[in-house]
Amino acid sequence: MVSVWVPALLRSLCGGAARLEVEGGTLGDVLRALDLRCPGLYDRVVEGGRVRPELAVAINGEVLSLALHEPLAPGTELTLVPAIGGG
Amino acid sequence: MTTIEKPTYTIIGTRPIRPDGVEKVTGKAQYGADIRLPGMIFGRVLRSPHAHARIRSIDTSAAESFPGVLAVLTHADFPVAADRVEELGETAVNLKELSENILAAGKALYRGHAIAAVAAANPHVAEEALKLIKVDYELLPPVTDVRDAMREDAPLLNENRYTKELGGAKSDKPSNIASHVQFQSGDIAAAFADADHVVEREFTTKMVHQGYIEPQNSTASWNSDGTLVIWTSTQGAFSVRAQLSEILKMPVARIKVVPMEIGGGFGGKLPIYLDPVAALLSKKSGHPVKVVMNRTEVFEGTGPTSGTYIKLKAAEKGGKLTAIEATLAYEAGAYPGSSVGAGAMCMLSPYNIENFKIDGYDVVVNKPKTAAYRAPGAPASAFATESVLDELAKAAKIDPLQFRLQNSAHEGTRMVTGVPFPRIGHEEVVEAALNSAHYRSPIEGPYRGRGVASGFWFNAGMQSSVVVSVNTDGTVNLTEGSTDIGGTRASLAMQLGETLGIPYDTIKPTVVDTDSIGHNDVTGGSRTTFASGMAVYEAGMDVQREMLKRASKLLNAPETDLVYEHGGVHVVSDPAKKMSFKEIAAQSARTGGPINGKGSVLARGAGAAYGTHIVDVEVDPDTGKVTILRYTAVQDVGTAIHPAYVEGQIQGGAVQGIGWALNEEYYYDDTGRMANSSFLDYRMPTTLDVPLIDTILVEVPNPGHPYGVRGVGEVPIVPPLAAVANAIADATGHRFTDLPISPRRVVEELHGLG
Repeated sequence: MVSVWVPALLRSLCGGAARLEVEGGTLGDVLRALDLRCPGLYDRVVEGGRVRPELAVAINGEVLSLALHEPLAPGTELTLVPAIGGG
Repeated sequence: MTTIEKPTYTIIGTRPIRPDGVEKVTGKAQYGADIRLPGMIFGRVLRSPHAHARIRSIDTSAAESFPGVLAVLTHADFPVAADRVEELGETAVNLKELSENILAAGKALYRGHAIAAVAAANPHVAEEALKLIKVDYELLPPVTDVRDAMREDAPLLNENRYTKELGGAKSDKPSNIASHVQFQSGDIAAAFADADHVVEREFTTKMVHQGYIEPQNSTASWNSDGTLVIWTSTQGAFSVRAQLSEILKMPVARIKVVPMEIGGGFGGKLPIYLDPVAALLSKKSGHPVKVVMNRTEVFEGTGPTSGTYIKLKAAEKGGKLTAIEATLAYEAGAYPGSSVGAGAMCMLSPYNIENFKIDGYDVVVNKPKTAAYRAPGAPASAFATESVLDELAKAAKIDPLQFRLQNSAHEGTRMVTGVPFPRIGHEEVVEAALNSAHYRSPIEGPYRGRGVASGFWFNAGMQSSVVVSVNTDGTVNLTEGSTDIGGTRASLAMQLGETLGIPYDTIKPTVVDTDSIGHNDVTGGSRTTFASGMAVYEAGMDVQREMLKRASKLLNAPETDLVYEHGGVHVVSDPAKKMSFKEIAAQSARTGGPINGKGSVLARGAGAAYGTHIVDVEVDPDTGKVTILRYTAVQDVGTAIHPAYVEGQIQGGAVQGIGWALNEEYYYDDTGRMANSSFLDYRMPTTLDVPLIDTILVEVPNPGHPYGVRGVGEVPIVPPLAAVANAIADATGHRFTDLPISPRRVVEELHGLG
């Protein structure tokens, strides 16, 4: 299972849940599985076959630029966050 | 320097002479304005005198026929840009908006918005020809304040813009609010109801500029074979190349970007402005074209940081911070993309707090499109948080640093996004501040006061490439592609020297063009010493492996019986048999050819940075002048590779923050004209305005880097705004919530004249 922290603005799609456990071997699988619990979430996160450029994914606490085929080990903690730029 | 868990190094932690120092102090260093090419001509840019206007037509015929003019350019010369977001460099960019910010299409959205450009035999002819371009404007009402722009009846900058929420949801009606972010956890209502003390305040900060000394410049040569060469001042040559490729619809490999020495950036030289203009002027004229901005163009036509409005309510119970509710509205300038998201994510990161709700709004206004500025978004939100924390500490009768310490975030604390922190150093930084000579000293006298504040910045990793070439005399060329703004040639050469065990002065680091090295992301996000340092470490290990192979032949011993150590190779079973790095390098032609190492990384493990600042001030109640009496900046720097550079970064950030707190602002009149677009009127601090900034380097090594590096360049600008305001509150008993705390504002407040 992958533990997903749902961003505040997407929780309404998930019945208000802030954290969900879903199955999935890759980032894409996890987002698809999440979409079954939170209808419409996949399209809010993915556009044109990739995570939207204005979003980023944190895996076990580290914000990374990941493709949907990125493998995720069971027990992974996944968080969706806005992308950040520095000066 | 306070050090925690640090290994012993030979080169790291020393203070060698910077590799670029002699060239810079003798005036030989080449900046963009120094470029001279055969047949080169000069470009100038026509800018909108209006803050908001529809462009009905542009007539360039008179300028085109003016003697000496060789090319005239408008947005109509650009290929049509797609209305889509791309990751170009460090941040996501809407290509259409990027293109329209470079030369306006349809509307001028701020005074200083580029409208057209001319290339001529000399800059004076180009300047004269600009006056012959006839632009028919339909004037529209401007909106320059973030709260005004959010009103339902505000003039719209773009009638087709709707408010986006995370992942693309839109508002029902067009709006200047481009996007909304939200972070929420716990039960704030219950926490506020149960609090011992609650403080609620509204804060504003003004748009401020990075104030780099060197104006933007670009020289372009469009060659007859369809290739393009750009010489420019940038924080990221590869990002410039990627943006040019998209805007000009050219293959990436046909564009070469040569990064010149840079006279400051601080985030402001991440976007591009002049490069596509110079490129197309060169294409049209058949000559190399140089374009250089003047200072007014820099203020009015490039990206400062956002003006902001922040409303914040916070609660404390028994010395514990229990709830925060905040609304942040950041000016994006003419196109979306302010740093409000980062501001919202940073504002609580020094602390462990269970109940919060933060709403952030990215709002377009008729001002220049904002750009990054050192820890973008964080200083304004920290100003609000750290001011309110000070009031809560006072209400709870707890020392303000002690209050911060007992509420500090630590390893495992979750950020507002839900992401848990790895090993971080905020507690160590606050403890070092508490124990500092400055904080233990008394502050006495009328109208004198002391303030403290903490700040946070993420720091970034991203992509870096380096190549290490070993010469036969044992010297080494380190080839890299990251712009050196704050001393990275030195910090990277030192990490290579440490990895290879060879002297620093045998390594020559060089920043090269985009044809000459693999991809490097921008020098931004305090990432270069961290990420390119990681690439340097990999390249050094690559060289070590090759050295072992060569030594195996030379020492007639299997590689498995060899070890690379202290700048050479020896046989484990017979330590007397050994060769130095220099001796192995000398034999390279006879042992397999040149010895090179490479490092290519997508760097993971960037460690967050924390700073806590202490400032003593004296306020003159008659003139309103605030004098900085003493200033100490404490920071977790991971490992200080070159402590002098680290101290310089911290001092520079602190001084910029002091300027932001006390003097700097874009001052607009009612027509949307910046009234102070020169360094005479835009008041940045000078050496006469600040004392020596004392620094305390706390070293909590980042476990994600072979040498424990954390980025250091951005976080020092985060605490000063609140630290200064807290000191003024301590000195006067008046809480200032609007920046800058200028002499006029101080006098008005102290004498009830507001």
